[in-house]
Amino acid sequence: MADSSMFWRIVRRLITANYGRLFVILLALGAGAAITSALLNLQIDAKRRLTTEFRALGANVIVAPRDANANSGGGTLDQSLLAQLPTENAGKPVPAVAFLYVIGAVAKVGEIHHEAAVIAGTEGQGLTKVRPGRRTDYSAELENDPLACELGAKAAAQFKVHAGDSLHLRNQGREATCKVFAVVATGGAEDTQIFTKLPTAQTLAELPGRISLVQLSVTGTPDSIDSFIKSLSQRLPVADVHGIKQLAEAEGKLYNRISGLLSTTVIIVLLLTSLCVMAGMSNVAIERKNDVGLMKAIGGSVRRVVRLFLAEAILMGIVGGIIGSAFGIVGSIWLGKAVFGVAAQPRWIVYPVSVGITIIVSIASAFPLRRLASVRPANVFRGEA
Amino acid sequence: MFLRLVADSFTRRPKRKMLTLAALALGMAVATAALSVSLDVGDRLAQEFRSLGANLMVTPEADSLPLEIGGVDYRPANAGAYLPEADLGKLKTIFWRFNIMAFAPILEVPVEAWSPARKNWSSPGVVDRSTLIGTWSDHSVPIPDGTTYQTGIEKTNPWWHVEGRWFKEGEDECLVGAAFAKKFGVKPGDVLNVRANDRTGWKGLKVVGIVSTGGPEENAVVASLAVAQSLAETPGKYRRLYVSALTKPEDAFARKDPKTMTPAEYDTWYCTPYISSIALQIGEELKGTDVRVIRRVAEGEGTILTRVRTLLWLVTFAALLAAALAVGASAAASVIERRTEIGLMKALGAGSGLVGVLLAAEQLLVAFVGGGIGYSVGILLARLLGQKIFGFTPEPKLFLLFIVLLLASLITLLGSAYPLRRASQYDPAPILRGE
Repeated sequence: MADSSMFWRIVRRLITANYGRLFVILLALGAGAAITSALLNLQIDAKRRLTTEFRALGANVIVAPRDANANSGGGTLDQSLLAQLPTENAGKPVPAVAFLYVIGAVAKVGEIHHEAAVIAGTEGQGLTKVRPGRRTDYSAELENDPLACELGAKAAAQFKVHAGDSLHLRNQGREATCKVFAVVATGGAEDTQIFTKLPTAQTLAELPGRISLVQLSVTGTPDSIDSFIKSLSQRLPVADVHGIKQLAEAEGKLYNRISGLLSTTVIIVLLLTSLCVMAGMSNVAIERKNDVGLMKAIGGSVRRVVRLFLAEAILMGIVGGIIGSAFGIVGSIWLGKAVFGVAAQPRWIVYPVSVGITIIVSIASAFPLRRLASVRPANVFRGEA
Repeated sequence: MFLRLVADSFTRRPKRKMLTLAALALGMAVATAALSVSLDVGDRLAQEFRSLGANLMVTPEADSLPLEIGGVDYRPANAGAYLPEADLGKLKTIFWRFNIMAFAPILEVPVEAWSPARKNWSSPGVVDRSTLIGTWSDHSVPIPDGTTYQTGIEKTNPWWHVEGRWFKEGEDECLVGAAFAKKFGVKPGDVLNVRANDRTGWKGLKVVGIVSTGGPEENAVVASLAVAQSLAETPGKYRRLYVSALTKPEDAFARKDPKTMTPAEYDTWYCTPYISSIALQIGEELKGTDVRVIRRVAEGEGTILTRVRTLLWLVTFAALLAAALAVGASAAASVIERRTEIGLMKALGAGSGLVGVLLAAEQLLVAFVGGGIGYSVGILLARLLGQKIFGFTPEPKLFLLFIVLLLASLITLLGSAYPLRRASQYDPAPILRGE
């Protein structure tokens, strides 16, 4: 074992021989590791965060009756279906809201003239998530009233009502009233609709326990949303589950572009890091000619010499990687905050991965040391470099 | 003598210098590529978001409430107000006309439809109710300044996929929705007869394609606006207009109410392509309309775009940092390896200052050559990356060359500064002795 202790002693000497150079190489490796781990962590986080941001676009999956015929007013689904929907996908909650649409006559309480409008009964968690828009005139204390309703901006202007006013709803002899708690501007068809609680709409339509459709806002990568839709349509044979193509296509496209950009950057940064270390190492190779010449002269085989330098490279890779990656992960937490406003979650898998990558880079950049194999002791000693 | 020394160091060991040069060129190539991609990609990304479709909707101001469920308006054909098609050219005369990417008017008509193709002994030409959506496929709109502008639903709704081809403007052709085609058994080449009411009589439309949209259009017939107008007996009218505009994400300033702004603020707001100011400008041109921002698209787009832009700059910065490190390290290495030479020069009587200047001049030369090569390689790299990731080619920018050269000289000098200082302190004797 004297042999191995000698081996490590030489390695130690090699490393500590020149502190300046050690510093440069460790700095290069450490900085490379820091940037790699920060970008890797941010990449995972950014992809995840991006899928969350996409949900600002609102519902992307719709559960509708299978025999839906838009022209005959459409079939309906049973309300119990809402309870059967998964509440989360890939750890993220899935807001789901059931809608029942009725065309009724509407007027402000006290007015005689009624006008036809679409009344949408809603039930479920996260109406603001599946139907993003800007709420004006919002009064929170009225919201939980069973007779509360929310108006689209155009409808509110048409009926001249504000939060706190009451509306009279009528459909084929059935009547109801509701109290306005908010006015919402979405820019879409919702602007002209009246959103009541589900039982109100069911009474007006005389369809107790029925719903027209369910809108869901599923967070996830394009693939995971696809598989969510597939598994859901298998579980609900009575219903037609489909994604909103408009969103799915744009989201998929953007997602691929951005994640492609991040991955490319990580590769480029790694290339540059290895270049950096290689520059340092080619220097080392020149300096070590004498050492290698001596080693060879006293009987060291090329293989052992190379092994020495490899051990040195791996050691430096480990040290640079461990220190640099730690800095990088801490940095990415802060970067996540700068980009997405929420601190990026450190992913521990990134740490060993980026340390591993650094070690590989360090070994690969020891490539210039291969020159040492061709060193001829006699030439070195004669001083002919 | 000075120049000769500099020239000598290049010709004597070209291989060594090549390595430093290569490192520098590569680092600067990455810097150029990263900068030029991120300079161009901001606008490009905004355009990318237009694949989400229109972000503005224009409807008549004085209108009864549309009875729209699942994209189908249940109002009778004669109810509600219309807008004149002839005015649409004015959209390209607003202040931010170049930000209007596309627009398409819509006129929906409830129709009865039957196809002779489906007629056989068991089902003799069943008549079904459906909706005919009249719009532009690829229409040339006359602009008041005398030119024309090509636009249509193909551009506002890029997620509509047509199997077959789009209908031609002004022809009696139509597309049928995928669900409609399945239910009615019609395929491209068949004739579909439609009518809005008993008075107008049947109109034969040639089916030229099947459209899949994932929306209510799948149950409808899509034809040119002129066809819909003649069926509904409303020549030159439409009911809804979708506008796809390139906008600046809304910030705190954009959310202020324009009515409460000072005149200076109002001017700034008016001359910034915020969605709200574009909406106002459209409203000024198209009289009697109500221009509404489709919030889910506009706001989703805004937040994501802001985030992605920050991310992009961050990534560019990381690439620059890595490039700087690589260049700095190779510069440092190239100084360290020349200790013997420095020792010799000093032994021959050169002062530390002269040695420093000599080496710095050399490094600067390398930086300029390397920076120049790096710039050209970087432009190529940017093209490749731009094509691969974003499907566009960034324009080469000359001012980047100056930035890159400046960056290269700065970093090489910075990288060589420490080893140079060390070198100038060397005692020549031990170095020459080979210690």
